[in-house]
Amino acid sequence: MTVQHVDAPIIAARNRENVIVEGEIVRHRRLSRWIHWSVALTFFVSLFSGMPIWMPFFGWMAALVGGLESARIIHPYAGSAFFILSIVQFFHWLGDMKIADDEKGVWWRPSKLWAYMRYEDDRAVAGGKYNPGQKMFFYAVTLGSVGLLLSGIIMWFPEWFPPIVRELSYLLHDITFIFFLIGIIFHIYLGTAAEPGTFRSMTRGTVTRTWARLHHPGWLRQISNTENRKD
Amino acid sequence: MTTQPLEIDRASASPFGRTTGLRAKPTVSKYIDTTTCIGCKACEAACQEWNDLRVVNTVQDGTYQTLPRLDADFWNLIRFNERTADDGGPMWLMRKDQCMHCAEPGCLEACPAPGAIVQYANGIVDVDATKCIGCGYCATGCPFDVPKFSAKTGKMAKCTLCVDRVEVGLEPACIKACPTGCLTFGTKESMVALGNARVAQLKDLGFKEAMLYNPEGVGGTGVVTVLGYGHPEWYDLPVDPHVPWGVRLWKQVVRPLGAIAAAFAVIGVFAHYTQYGPKEVPGSAAEPGHRDEGRRA
Amino acid sequence: MTNGWVDIKNADIILAMGGNPAENHPVGFKWFIEARRTRGAKIVVVDPRFTRTAAVADYYAPIRPGTDVAFLSGIIRYALSTGRYHEEYVKIHTNAPFLVKNTYSFNDGLFAGWDPATKQYKKDQWGYEPDAKTQAYGVDPTMQNPQCVLQLLKKHVDRYTPEMVERICGTPKDKFLKVAEMVTSTGNAERVGTVTYALGWTQHSVGVQMIRTAAMLQLLLGNVGRPGGGVNAFRGHSNIQGATDTAGTFEILPGYLKTPQGQYQTLAQYYEAAVAMPLNKQAWASMNYWVNYPKFMVSLLKSAYGDAATKDNDFGYAWLPKVDGNYSWMYIFDDMYRGSSMRAGGKEPGPEGFITFGMNPVGLGPNVKKMIAALSKLKWMVVVENFEIETASFWKAPKEYGGAPASQIETEVYLLPASGFAEKDGTFTNSARWLQWKWKAIDPPGNAKTDQEIISRIFLAVQNLYRKESGAVPEQVLNIIWPYTNPVSPDLAEVLKEMNGKALADLKDPKDPTRMLKTAGQQIDGFGQLMDDGSTMCGNWLHSGVYTEAGNLAQRRSTADPTGLGMFHNWGFSWPANRRVMYNRASADAQGKPWDPTRVGIKWNGQKWVGDVPDMKPDAPPGTYGAFIMLPEGVGRLYAPTLADGPFPEHYEAVEAVVDNVLHPSVTSNPSALKFSSDKDSLGKREDFPIACTTYRLTEMYHYWTKHHRDGVLNELQPGFFVEIPEALAKEKGIANGSNVKVTSARGSIEGVAMVTKRLPSLKADGKAVWHIGFPLHWGFMADEGHTGPLANFLTASVGDPNTWTPEYKTFLVKLEKA
Repeated sequence: MTVQHVDAPIIAARNRENVIVEGEIVRHRRLSRWIHWSVALTFFVSLFSGMPIWMPFFGWMAALVGGLESARIIHPYAGSAFFILSIVQFFHWLGDMKIADDEKGVWWRPSKLWAYMRYEDDRAVAGGKYNPGQKMFFYAVTLGSVGLLLSGIIMWFPEWFPPIVRELSYLLHDITFIFFLIGIIFHIYLGTAAEPGTFRSMTRGTVTRTWARLHHPGWLRQISNTENRKD
Repeated sequence: MTTQPLEIDRASASPFGRTTGLRAKPTVSKYIDTTTCIGCKACEAACQEWNDLRVVNTVQDGTYQTLPRLDADFWNLIRFNERTADDGGPMWLMRKDQCMHCAEPGCLEACPAPGAIVQYANGIVDVDATKCIGCGYCATGCPFDVPKFSAKTGKMAKCTLCVDRVEVGLEPACIKACPTGCLTFGTKESMVALGNARVAQLKDLGFKEAMLYNPEGVGGTGVVTVLGYGHPEWYDLPVDPHVPWGVRLWKQVVRPLGAIAAAFAVIGVFAHYTQYGPKEVPGSAAEPGHRDEGRRA
Repeated sequence: MTNGWVDIKNADIILAMGGNPAENHPVGFKWFIEARRTRGAKIVVVDPRFTRTAAVADYYAPIRPGTDVAFLSGIIRYALSTGRYHEEYVKIHTNAPFLVKNTYSFNDGLFAGWDPATKQYKKDQWGYEPDAKTQAYGVDPTMQNPQCVLQLLKKHVDRYTPEMVERICGTPKDKFLKVAEMVTSTGNAERVGTVTYALGWTQHSVGVQMIRTAAMLQLLLGNVGRPGGGVNAFRGHSNIQGATDTAGTFEILPGYLKTPQGQYQTLAQYYEAAVAMPLNKQAWASMNYWVNYPKFMVSLLKSAYGDAATKDNDFGYAWLPKVDGNYSWMYIFDDMYRGSSMRAGGKEPGPEGFITFGMNPVGLGPNVKKMIAALSKLKWMVVVENFEIETASFWKAPKEYGGAPASQIETEVYLLPASGFAEKDGTFTNSARWLQWKWKAIDPPGNAKTDQEIISRIFLAVQNLYRKESGAVPEQVLNIIWPYTNPVSPDLAEVLKEMNGKALADLKDPKDPTRMLKTAGQQIDGFGQLMDDGSTMCGNWLHSGVYTEAGNLAQRRSTADPTGLGMFHNWGFSWPANRRVMYNRASADAQGKPWDPTRVGIKWNGQKWVGDVPDMKPDAPPGTYGAFIMLPEGVGRLYAPTLADGPFPEHYEAVEAVVDNVLHPSVTSNPSALKFSSDKDSLGKREDFPIACTTYRLTEMYHYWTKHHRDGVLNELQPGFFVEIPEALAKEKGIANGSNVKVTSARGSIEGVAMVTKRLPSLKADGKAVWHIGFPLHWGFMADEGHTGPLANFLTASVGDPNTWTPEYKTFLVKLEKA
């Protein structure tokens, strides 16, 4: 991505990350946002082309991609693109998603998750830029996309594989998808309605200090320190 | 697949069915007697010609069998199997392979496209190419490796049991062409009776293990096969065919559970929101204004 | 066939040997299945290969190619030594009691009368011993006289013990005994068995003797003439029987009358040579039906020359072409290749032109390289065909077959497009001798014409040339009548009427001259009404009765079957005289009572014979005549003093064989076998070519023809040439299934895809392991793209049977290598 020379510091800052500019914090630079939305787009195309094949109940979704047969034709390509972008996303965010020492043995506990959802235990999120739940989702997405790809390839070229492998792939694709779907439902919920101020971090890239203090105080501390040092 | 007057009993991906149930039709069946099949392939040629199928570019690769397996352009295949008999002499087993028209068709169960695979009231299982989406699930659902994907049309294809002929009172083309009478066509009931009688005769003639292949695992088949030797696998037939457990588990357990789980996820977040509302700093509802100052030329 | 296709359903035992009926006659094979399904009949297959027939048979025994005489002689020995033969039948219906002259002998592989110079037998030493008093055939009713046929036969086959059969044929003793036991289970009045064969017997240098051995076995078992019995040849084409009946080969005229030879200048001389006169004055008399020969011959001449044929000019006999040499297949091509032929004892130039209809000579003859070289020497050739077959483009053959650029070929080739069988009407005569009319289904494409139009146009043009320019013996051509409504394209129904024959003058009943049988111009009812005075004409006496005043009986399609035996007398027309089982007099005992009342051929009801159309004078009481009315003896021949290679069959190895004859190594193969000696006729030694090879047909293809069927389903079903190889041999040579192999004989080598199979056995001949391989013969170099293949006959030799001159396609020597 070419960096345009602009005067407005905030616009310029959107190509960087973790910087505080005029009261706003750049949480996701442009590349990050593009990657995220590419993944999201291919995910939704896969979703709308896959679900009508999955269950006749969702047959109406096929209309969004031009009918059931188009759905069958589009789905493997959309799915492949989704996988590739997921992998790009994986390496893109891998550095941020390292599990910190103090998170180990803590971050995956359901009780913590539950407490978090009840807005009770903010210490769980005291860590860095991403809290353990987000990291868990990040790894689950990547793992899930691998599972979907492997099973999807078998379903795409069934004649290359023995029946038992094909049957297992149907099950794997299905189960992975269901977890994925549930995960995405929560992801969207948390990213929009449940936590106001979050969605813009993926659109304009910035969040407020208030938001950061509430959701990622550790991260705010870090970048404030950096800011101070730099200044 | 032919036209509408056909009475459909069951259709794929149609939970509420499409049965009209108006006409009473007896279940039909082919009868194959492998002990009188000479592998002449007249049925193969008749099938190709009646159904106007394109010529498959076959190659001689060391067998009398026309193709290793059925093809989207080849719905009727004699399978040739050589074995060594107990006395050390050779055996050459021939069996006509085609869609078995199961009473409980795995293809139909696996198919996700509404109405793409139908079972007519007379038991014939057929593919409606106009509704088929070419996903190939039916191939996995079939325990007999029958439906085949056509790269030319992007659809699945298989034996129709000449439903167009049967519907107007003719026997299927393969039956018509058979010179030895090893193929017969009629109601399922009469074909099973014929098969049982033949098996009894074969047992008298020294074929101690003779059997009628009409496997229960798929509810019986619309093609009953007399086997001289009670080893279906010698004839490339599954010993105990059934709709694959993977497909059953997938369609009947995992899929509905998954749908319920997804529904609960939606309900869950809704409930969460109604219970806890958004997570924000009290009194800080207003977000900072958009501070984009715009570009300068 | 002596019987018919449907009749096979009446058999208890069906021996399929020397043929693969399921492969080559799948439609007729339904009657094998029917017999098996409805009456529990057993199908026994003896074949070098485990064939499609064997796949559905009840019992299979392997045999080394070309050793069938030994196998069958072994069964004869088994029947005679165990008493499992139909003695009563043998006594009255065969020549078993007949006495043979003591000049007959058999020593060390040769019968009496062998002339090493001509390599032929003097057959007069094989004759019967006349009764001293009556001068009729000498007979010993007790069949104990050592010179009687039965005793001589016992002595002759005594060498063929089960152990010897195993040594010669490679068939394990227990398997041979099982077959012998099953087959001889019909050697009685209660049971009947049939023997079916095809080219797997015919195409050997001892082909006729193989068939004869089977016929003798059937006579011994009392199976000839009975429903469910007989010796049944399956013909390869839908109408090859009709072609043979209508002078299919050079030595016969229509109805198996003999082609005149130059030395017989008058009809009287010709009759004397052609008609067998019985030595028969005894109580059990012979009708010797051939005494009617002049009626058939004169009626034939009348059909050819019309009014020009009169009693005064011997009915035009002089105009009939005479043969003075051998014009069978291998001779024609030998003459063509060498450019000279032996006629009437002198040398003459070979043929310069060649017309071929409905066949593919380059594919079907032996030693293709020689044939292509021969065709290259012609001045002209006319090929009448549906497709551009190999013969029509013989020079396009691969170089190693003798192909060459067109510029180097002198032969002017004309390809006339012909119509296929569905594009014209006419009759097919099937193997069961049934003439069945078929109707044209579609018009021939483009300019293709029917065979009869092509022949007529050529004939009329030649006749016109003679009329205008005359020439040598013009009356030979000018006197031929061509009495068809449309002479250019005769209606085949008119031709059939002509073959049936009609009265040319009013015919009176010989028994009652006041009664008129036929008025002049009426179609006759059958050959019984033919006359030798020129008052009748008939194009083929055997087919007479097919088109009477009642109409075209070949069109009948009634499925009424009052006999319950599948005789269907009102379906088509079966020659002779609509008879469905030949020799059916033998289906009844001396009193005319059927051997098996459930399977009645004919029976004597006190006044006449009823059942099938009797093969007997209908009102001649039992005992008047013998059952075999065409033979002077009046009985079936267990001993045949008329064949070229011996009165009894003897096991001879093929001309190219993997082992020497263990019975008489000094006379290893048929001493009378036909061989040729041009520079292109080479025979292989077993040191160089250690494997026996055989050729055959596939059910998916039709001879040398269907591979040309463009984009056809048949090329899909059998896409290409292959070589079948026994598993153990393939292992020894490291040949994988589906890989390419090279097969070489002394004539050349071909390549093909290996089909490694369990269906070919490894056998032991004379204690030594021997192999045989085989391949089908349908492919050629002019086939549809992607479906070409080598001509099988590139490897076969120009050697053959001395009686029929049929090439030995079924056994020759090769070597096998990875390609």
